Amino acid sequence: MAQRRIRGGKLVMVLCVVAMCRAVPINDLIYRASQQSDQLHALSTMLTQELQGSEVFPIDRVHACHTSSLQTPTDKEQALQVSESDLLSLARSLLQAWSDPLVVLSSSTNVLPYSAQSTLSKTIQKMQEHSKDLKDGLDILSSKMGPAAQTITSLPFIETNEIGQDKITKLLSCFRRDSHKIDSFLKVLRCRAANMQPQMC
Amino acid sequence: MACARMVKHLRLPLLLLLLALAAECNSMSPPEKPDKLGCRSPDKETFFCWWTPGSDGGLPTVHHLYYKTEGQENMRQCPDYHKAGSNSCFFSKTSIWVEYTVIVEASNALGNTSSDPLTFDLMNIVKPFAPENVTVVVNIEDSPHLTIQWHTPSNIDTKSGWVTLKNQLRVKPDKSKIWKNYASETQTHFTIYSIDLGVVYMVEVRCAIDNSWSEWSNTTFVKVPNFSRKDNSFWILVFSLCLIPLLAAMIILILKRKTVKKYILPPVPSPKIRGVDVQLLKSGQSEDVINAMLLNQRFPVMIPWKDQKEDYLIVSDKETSYLPLEKKKIFILPLAMALDSEVQSKETSEVDHFPKDSESSSEESSDKTESSQLLTKCSSANVLNDEKANQLKGVTEKIFQPFGICGYVDIPRHEHMQEADYSRVNEVNGDNILIMKKENIPHTLDTQGQEGSVPDNYSMVKEVNSDNVVFLEKHSESVNASFKAKGYIDWVNQKPKNLHMTGHSEMGVCPQLVGCEYVDTVPPPAVI
Repeated sequence: MAQRRIRGGKLVMVLCVVAMCRAVPINDLIYRASQQSDQLHALSTMLTQELQGSEVFPIDRVHACHTSSLQTPTDKEQALQVSESDLLSLARSLLQAWSDPLVVLSSSTNVLPYSAQSTLSKTIQKMQEHSKDLKDGLDILSSKMGPAAQTITSLPFIETNEIGQDKITKLLSCFRRDSHKIDSFLKVLRCRAANMQPQMC
Repeated sequence: MACARMVKHLRLPLLLLLLALAAECNSMSPPEKPDKLGCRSPDKETFFCWWTPGSDGGLPTVHHLYYKTEGQENMRQCPDYHKAGSNSCFFSKTSIWVEYTVIVEASNALGNTSSDPLTFDLMNIVKPFAPENVTVVVNIEDSPHLTIQWHTPSNIDTKSGWVTLKNQLRVKPDKSKIWKNYASETQTHFTIYSIDLGVVYMVEVRCAIDNSWSEWSNTTFVKVPNFSRKDNSFWILVFSLCLIPLLAAMIILILKRKTVKKYILPPVPSPKIRGVDVQLLKSGQSEDVINAMLLNQRFPVMIPWKDQKEDYLIVSDKETSYLPLEKKKIFILPLAMALDSEVQSKETSEVDHFPKDSESSSEESSDKTESSQLLTKCSSANVLNDEKANQLKGVTEKIFQPFGICGYVDIPRHEHMQEADYSRVNEVNGDNILIMKKENIPHTLDTQGQEGSVPDNYSMVKEVNSDNVVFLEKHSESVNASFKAKGYIDWVNQKPKNLHMTGHSEMGVCPQLVGCEYVDTVPPPAVI
């Protein structure tokens, strides 16, 4: 009798803990994820600016990115209509699509002019780290959000050998766009999750 | 004829006109191509483009902007040429993550000229305007700090989450060249504490959308005042408030220094002898001193030990004849007994009850243990008239040796002692010294008998004056026969509690303290 009571008590406690654990950190997870994506985008922006020598232009034919096949919203209204699960799924897919290309990029720095090499390798390394952290966080987040968030569209990156300089710049431009997409989606998600806290938006 | 004349007339103006036209035609040209194209999106939703027109070639020139997004074939014209000012184009509906291509064409009568195309993505041209209404407030009350507030640029939609702003501000003293940057995430206010007094500070703020920073806002100048007046006056007030009670305390201490001294260093009690006037002693009159000493003596002056015959006061109990003699424990101390120091210490425990002499009898009864001790002290060597004592059967002696000199009442050793075991007061020396000699008392005094007159040589105790003074009556009047017949002299202790009613009370011993006339035999404590 006493044992049953103890077991019951323990169960209640575990449930409470689980409930609390579930309830609290989604917002924190999303906040943290958006911070990571912001960092990632900042790094990529800095890199492209350094390499191309200009803030805005020129942009190469970015429509030839390997992630172009993924259907993403093209303006604000469209983006605000996407569900949270879909937003998360898109972000995860894009992120997944860049894990291999980043590896290729990091091994291709020697084709660049010497002055740019160290900057490039350091920055690419940081981008890889942030990308990994973000991927882990989004995996946990998606597990809490249901099956729609779990789907990842495969976007294979074909090139596996070293690539030339022009490809590097194109790749970096593509990455800049995709990291911006990820960042925007997560920020929209963050604002939607924090209904009670407008200061998060 | 008329036609020819008209032609002649028209020829000249026509010629002039042609010449003029020819002249003008030489300076006209198609417009130059527009230059310095730029586009900017302040809110990640809309954007505008601008250009700098080239020379117009002398002809009115019109500029058109054409754009297309990636995947479109045809160029479209700018939707709004006016909202963003002259030589600009405003786009209200935009797409993001698509490539735009923009071209500006200048056209006049002579031709068109197009600018270089501009390709961009919306995300690349996002750049907000600088924050508005920057206010800086200097606050020096608690600790000096600057409170800076600003507004986000207008028309930015932050509620939906599409746009997230980051803020940054920088501060420097106007004479310094180094700016100090501070990051403020999404809040539009900031407080800086590390500022110096008396310095003019410059403050600027900027914001960013997606890591794209705006320009710095207009500089705001603030001067931090030199000192905190409130701060100073506060401390002056505190200081003066603390000072006043300190001064007051000091003044009180000085005025009442004697009291304070007594409190801090209480006077050490010095020993006092009761009745002894310290001042009298100090005054030094030796006679008075001696008198004082003697008067107040608890311990009277020692008299030398008389080895042979002691002066005793012989007391016998007639009534119970031998019995009391046997068991008699009489101790009446001569007054002139010096107290042993040891005894003294024991006796001092009794305040004012100390048996000087006359009282000792009664004292002892109440203080049996003490007496027994004292008795034991008195060794048998001090027993006088031992042989006499042995003569009497079972006569017990009470030996009382209080001080080193045993003084005791001895029981008469001879048979007829019963008859005559009184001692006669021989001499009265002073107020309080009675010297009694053992004498043969005339047989006329029959102690055993109840009747008989009081012999002449008895005097009655008139009065017990103090603890140790017995005043005897000089006359020998016959008193109550019954009392006298006993032949007692009652020493009565003045102290009521020491009053004891002896076994002779039935004989009518006067229970009163004062005025009794007989010395009673005191049953000794614990003696033999």
